[in-house]
Parts: sequence; C-alpha cells; structure tokens
Amino acid sequence: MTKRKYNDINDFLEDESFENWVYQKNGTDINFWEFWIANNPDKSDLVNSAKDLILGISFKNNNVSEEKVALEWQKLQSKIKDKEAKPKQKVILLKKFSVAATILIIVTTGFYFLNRNSKITHKTHYGEILKVKLQDGSDVTLNSNSSLSYYKNESRKVWLSGEAFFKVDKKKATNAKFWVITQDLSIQVYGTAFNVSTKKKKTDVFLEEGDIWLSLKNGETKQMLPGNYISYSAKENRVLEDKDIDNSSLKTSWKDGTLLFEKLSLEKAMEKIEESYGYSVVFKDDKAKNTLITGAVPLTNIDICIEAIEKSVDVTIIKKDNSLIISKK
Amino acid sequence: MKKLTDKYIWKSLKKGDLNAFSVLFESYYSKLYNYGLKISKNETLTEDSLQDFFLYVYEHRENLSDLETIAPYLFLSYKRFLMRMMKKKSRFKYSDISNENVVDLEFTADELITNQEIVAFNNANLTKLLNNLPKRQKEAIYLKYYSGLKAREISEIMNINYQSVVNLLHKGIKSLKEDVSIAKLFN
Repeated sequence: MTKRKYNDINDFLEDESFENWVYQKNGTDINFWEFWIANNPDKSDLVNSAKDLILGISFKNNNVSEEKVALEWQKLQSKIKDKEAKPKQKVILLKKFSVAATILIIVTTGFYFLNRNSKITHKTHYGEILKVKLQDGSDVTLNSNSSLSYYKNESRKVWLSGEAFFKVDKKKATNAKFWVITQDLSIQVYGTAFNVSTKKKKTDVFLEEGDIWLSLKNGETKQMLPGNYISYSAKENRVLEDKDIDNSSLKTSWKDGTLLFEKLSLEKAMEKIEESYGYSVVFKDDKAKNTLITGAVPLTNIDICIEAIEKSVDVTIIKKDNSLIISKK
Repeated sequence: MKKLTDKYIWKSLKKGDLNAFSVLFESYYSKLYNYGLKISKNETLTEDSLQDFFLYVYEHRENLSDLETIAPYLFLSYKRFLMRMMKKKSRFKYSDISNENVVDLEFTADELITNQEIVAFNNANLTKLLNNLPKRQKEAIYLKYYSGLKAREISEIMNINYQSVVNLLHKGIKSLKEDVSIAKLFN
C-alpha cells in the first residue's frame, strides 16, 4: 500500500494495489481503495478511467493447440539440422532428383498418417503395477489405476493420467526430446529419471536425476533440478507446492511395489491406499486420523497391506465391499 | 527450481542452446501466430513466415543484442519480417501497407467474449465500433488486451513512448464507450 499522491492516470496504472482493487484480488488493497475513493470524490473520474483502461476489452483465449506447436517445432528443428549438416550437397540432390523426392514424400507422409492413427494405450487396474519398455529404450513404470498412451511412430511423446516413473534414455546424437503431457502441464526431458502423478485437479512431478523443463498450462516455464518436487494445478492456476525432497524413495518406492511412509498422518497415508487399491476409506474414530505412521506397505496385496498398517499403528481395519473401515483398538 | 527469466533464455539461445530455443518457440508461437494472422489474414502465409522467422532468429543468434525482455523484440521483428514477405508475394494485393509501422487489424465478433467486464461493452455492435477506431488505437488495443503485453513493451513495438501508448489506449477505450452509448440510442 502506498501513501503517494495520485494526480494523473499513470499514478493509478502503475500502482499494483490499484490493479488488485480493480480485479478485487487482495483484501487489504480492496479496503484501502474503497476508503481512498470515498475520501477523494474529486478523483472519481480519474479512478473510473484508469479502471476502464485496466479492464479494457476481453478477448477469448485463442491459442494454437499444443499438438500444432509441437509439430511446427519439429518442422523447424529438422530445418535447423539440415542447414547445419552440409547445406550445399542438399541443394544439388534436390535439383537432380526432384521427381523421385516428390514421390517419396507422398509415400512417407501416407505412412506417417497411417501410423499416427495407431495409438497405443497401457492401462493398469487397482493394485496393479506395470513395467513398459518404449521403442526408444526408455523405461516406464505405471502405477495402479493409471494410463499411458502414445502413437506408434512417436513413442517419445506420451500422455499420462495417474502416476508413472520414467527412466528416459538420452539420445545424444539427435538431442531428441522426450515429452510427458498431462492435463496440467507438459514436461520436456533430456535423459533423466523422474516421477509424475496426476490427481483430479493437479499434477505432481518429482525429479530424481537429470534435467527437465516444465511448461505449465498458464504459459509459465520452469526448469527442475534433481530433488525438486513440484505440484501444480491448472484449474487453480497456481503452483501448490515447490520444495526439495532429500529422501527420493518416499516419492518413488511405489515402483518397486511398496509405499513408504515417514511420519505421515494416517489420514494422508490412507489417501494413498485409496488411490492405489480403489477402496474408499472410512474413519470411525476421528482421533485415529492424526496418528503418525512410519514404515512400508505392499502395493499389490491389500490383505498384507492392511495387516502391516494394523501392526504399525494401533487400529483395526475391516474390509467390507469397497470400503476400509478404520477404528481405534 | 528456478523460474526462467527472459534474460536467461535469451543468453542460452545466443550460445546455441536448442533447448532454450524450444522454450522460446513454445512460449511465443501462439501469440505471434495470432498477431501474424491479424496482419496477413492468411493462414499459410502466417505459418510459413513464422517458420522462416524463427529459423532466421536461430541462424543470426550470435549477432543478436542482449535483451531483458524478449516479447517486444519478437513482435517487432516478426511484424517487419512478415510485411516484407507480404510485399514480395504481391505488390498490388498489399499495396496499402506502404508504411511499415502501421497495420490495419480487423476484429471479428467471435473473438470477443460476450460478457464483457465493462458492462457498457456488452453490445452487439462492439466489434463494428472497435473496427472503426483509428489503426494505431486498434493495434495498441490488440497488443494490450489480446496479446497481453505491458504498455512499456507495446511502446517498443510501436516505436512510440510510454505515455503515447497510454494515451492511445485511453482514447480508444473512451471513444469506444461513447460510441457504444450512442449506438444504444439508435437501437
């Protein structure tokens, strides 16, 4: 908040708190400006003009689709490579064999579109973990209730919903990128190991080693370094969490079939169980929610999992239909 | 974790970092495409010119001057680049763009949000009235509210000072409001 003088329209336009008032964004700023305007009736024309200027005209968000941008980038990238590798020879070849080249292009594009249509999808059910090896040699471990899809000719670009751990092979010669796309963001990868998990309203990314760049839905770009953990929601248009995690197995142990908990509340831990096994959890006793749990439970056998939890914290868990009912002993 | 600044991306690009270039490409492609389409009204030409433009930027990366913000440079150079291409393509078709700095942008009704924040602008004639504004006011309005640029960035693109940008926007919005209220009287 400022105590400066507001004499012309620029004084308002350059003031962030004024803009906050226009968009009704910040409680303190709103209060300040309501008060200020009531006490400066002679400035009301200026205030209205400045407000109109900030609001302006609203246009629809008319963005070029992500797929189109990616395609255009590939086009440009191959042009750059062509130019960098023996440009002269290329021209001569093109002139000599232009007819042959035209035919070749038609045939390959035909194949390209045919292949493009064959989309491959891997799906897992609750309590199931799947290891997938992609054509380029990259390893993907898919957690339960998740799906991974890609086009046959383009296995270095995958769509994910749910959770997966990636170990991507670096293509040194071509510098070809690996892409992971979720509802909230897309990740550009240059040979690396990382974990991605999408929930209803957010995507969590944890980088174990290497180098990745995130493009968030709101247009921001972020570079991640090893140990970084980021949680972003496109719906809320903000980064929910951004921190460093020392013990990487807390985020990635699931790929070896176990969930690790370290002083986690039972409530949070049971959320993980819900996601993995598809049971809904009912707490009979609210006090049990805050009990801290430390230990490992299996991800593919619900009975052993229940037993392990019962042993490490003082609760009884009853499995009934699709619910787990928890009560204090 | 660091948020990438324009300065950092630009520096990496100048060193030939293709990853930085791809970040630049992906952040600006959509905005430049829409801008180019507004100027040329031709999808193929816009697409081709953007390919050539980005290739040009990459090939000349070593000669580029240091930048704090990238948007004004890209918008201005792309505009010049595209207009040169348009002139080459047809001398007659685009003969009205003799002055390189002034473009005539045309808005369509389906680009506007029907429920405007300024209530007076909730008017069926808004597109028509908007298109009747002077060219420079329209360009400032486009860059500010469509492309989401800051007044300072717009001043670099339009090659005028900050105050002139504010004045253009102010005049544009003000006369639009008056036009809307006049139009309402006759409806």
